[in-house]
Amino acid sequence: MDDANAVKSEMTFSGIPASPGIAFGEAFVVNVEDLPVAEGHIRAKEIDAEIEKFREALAQTEKELKKLVRSLEEEIGEEHGKILDSHLMILNDELVVNETIKMIRDEKVNAAYALSLVLEKVLTTFANIKDEYLKERGEDIRDVRRRVLRNLMGQRSEDLTNLRKKAVVVAKTLTPSDTAGLNKKFVLAFITDAGGSTSHAAILARSQGIPAVVGLNDISKYVKPYDELIVDGSSGQVILNPTAETTKTYREAQARYQELEKELLTLRDYPGVTLDGHQIELSANIETAEEVEDVISHGARGIGLFRTEYFFIARSTLPGEEEQYRYYASVVKRIPSDPVIIRTLDIGGDKIARWVGELREANPFMGWRGIRLTLARKDIFKTQLRAIFRAAAHGNVKIMFPMVTVLEEVRLAKEICEEVKDDLKRKRYQIGENAEIGVMIETPSAVAIADLLAREVDFFSIGTNDLIQYSLAVDRGNARISYLYDALHPSILRLLRDTVAAAHKNKIWVGICGEMPGNIHGALLLLGLGLDEFSGASYLIPTIKKIVRSVTYDEARSLVRKALTMGTAHEVRELVDRFIHEKRPELKEFLPEASS
Amino acid sequence: MVTGSAKVRNKNGIHLRLAGELVKAATRFHSRITVTKDGQEVDAKSILGVAGLGAECGAELVFKIEGADEAQALAHLIDLVDNQFAQETN
Repeated sequence: MDDANAVKSEMTFSGIPASPGIAFGEAFVVNVEDLPVAEGHIRAKEIDAEIEKFREALAQTEKELKKLVRSLEEEIGEEHGKILDSHLMILNDELVVNETIKMIRDEKVNAAYALSLVLEKVLTTFANIKDEYLKERGEDIRDVRRRVLRNLMGQRSEDLTNLRKKAVVVAKTLTPSDTAGLNKKFVLAFITDAGGSTSHAAILARSQGIPAVVGLNDISKYVKPYDELIVDGSSGQVILNPTAETTKTYREAQARYQELEKELLTLRDYPGVTLDGHQIELSANIETAEEVEDVISHGARGIGLFRTEYFFIARSTLPGEEEQYRYYASVVKRIPSDPVIIRTLDIGGDKIARWVGELREANPFMGWRGIRLTLARKDIFKTQLRAIFRAAAHGNVKIMFPMVTVLEEVRLAKEICEEVKDDLKRKRYQIGENAEIGVMIETPSAVAIADLLAREVDFFSIGTNDLIQYSLAVDRGNARISYLYDALHPSILRLLRDTVAAAHKNKIWVGICGEMPGNIHGALLLLGLGLDEFSGASYLIPTIKKIVRSVTYDEARSLVRKALTMGTAHEVRELVDRFIHEKRPELKEFLPEASS
Repeated sequence: MVTGSAKVRNKNGIHLRLAGELVKAATRFHSRITVTKDGQEVDAKSILGVAGLGAECGAELVFKIEGADEAQALAHLIDLVDNQFAQETN
């Protein structure tokens, strides 16, 4: 057992680097395992005090839950609050309260142990339930148990909504609903046990420019609240209880990192042009309207992917046409001459929203999501399209459909667009009638029929994150196999080559809106593959721009020709490394640590 | 004492939220109320008891009610499960 008074020794953990930068701070631990409870006997005269302690812990937990219900209702909507209503009922379940008190009295054991035993019995009943869905409700009981035990054992409750000062968030895993009530300005860094570089925590961190390390296996077991941490999101190292010497080293590294960032920002007002004059559109991905300011400050030209689902997720009722129109228009009006590509609702998969009903699917990534969902719920689709076409009157808007696998989906979606436009015109709305329409290329099927799709639309945007996961059959959040998730896999390079060829043959432009351009290997290869546009997190744009401006299109193309003859991702990576070392050594600073 | 039965008709069965609603309804009555599914009998005023039944779609619930307001309680609870829960979308 740990001695609480012992000097805490430094420990280093290695995970998957998910968002660059270095952070120093105290730990804020969430979602940790059940607390270990030891059987402790009490004396007869202590019984009443122990029962009183139990009641106090219940009252304290009730207060916390009610507070959480209120903040969830305010921030995300009533439905979310309702879920915790049942938690309040579990807390007040007389059966449990009475049995626990009886056990404290009869067996003379401490309250934490008594409650654990009583709830364990209830959980056994749940474990025997045959219906999988009903069985899973046992998790809610564990959640309540954790809260009460925390209060009984005198530990502060740690909900992300309770984060009120700057800290490093430590969790087993983070889901969109975990982070929904989170005040992001208090997060210094994210570190999680689970996850790959495209898990929710990783994407959220990158979009906010906060360092993150994921796939740390079991770090949440070692980190206690308020422990000092250093998070190096560039190398994937996390240091627990660092010594003064380690801290000094990392402070220096942080200073160098910030220096480089500053230097990159000087490129802000320059275009993405290669040394031999080939121009690439460099745009940014955003999840919320406010992020348009980051897009501008990082020197991206327009928005290559405006994810609209977050606007829908963060609430309990569907947003109406007026509200959506004002929301989209606020972005378009801010950058009226730059392109804003709005992707229609891409919900489902890991972004489960309460308002489409509880989506329970054995395999959500291959389930009811993206355009499949919006074509089935035309009411939602039409309202969103009306809002987008109206917002398009204020600038250069393009519309993009996600998760396309068959041609009919595109045809049907286009018909609905025409219908919506006709109706808006009849009602004398100002609309952006000529808004370009495009599709996401993110399934192997879409690549295979890219030539057919290209005849139907004005542009393609390749979503590499999903395309890689679907092509390589790798769950990007599964730490055991995330090593297989590799954008440089020859199959991915070939799929990209074929997509670009199909697009250009049909005289439409093709962009990319995944994470792939965010590192130097991906950026150089995508440039050479002939992509017309890169869209990535705002903070990545200066780096990508610097890389594009440091090479010729000619050499990038010849690099790709060689890369396409390689047999493995490893060989491709080595080829690009060699190119950088031999031809463009000034780009070495952008190589990840392992290969520099 | 009165007894009566109702059938679970909504897709996901008596999950936690519905168990909560059933308990809230049962608590409004003074009578002692139990609910039985496949021989397992629990207190209808305990959310963990009710949710722990794991009453899936198609399951039959038997209410046993004893007390001054037993008749109203039975009618109310059967209507709740048979009609109101049946309209749940999940």
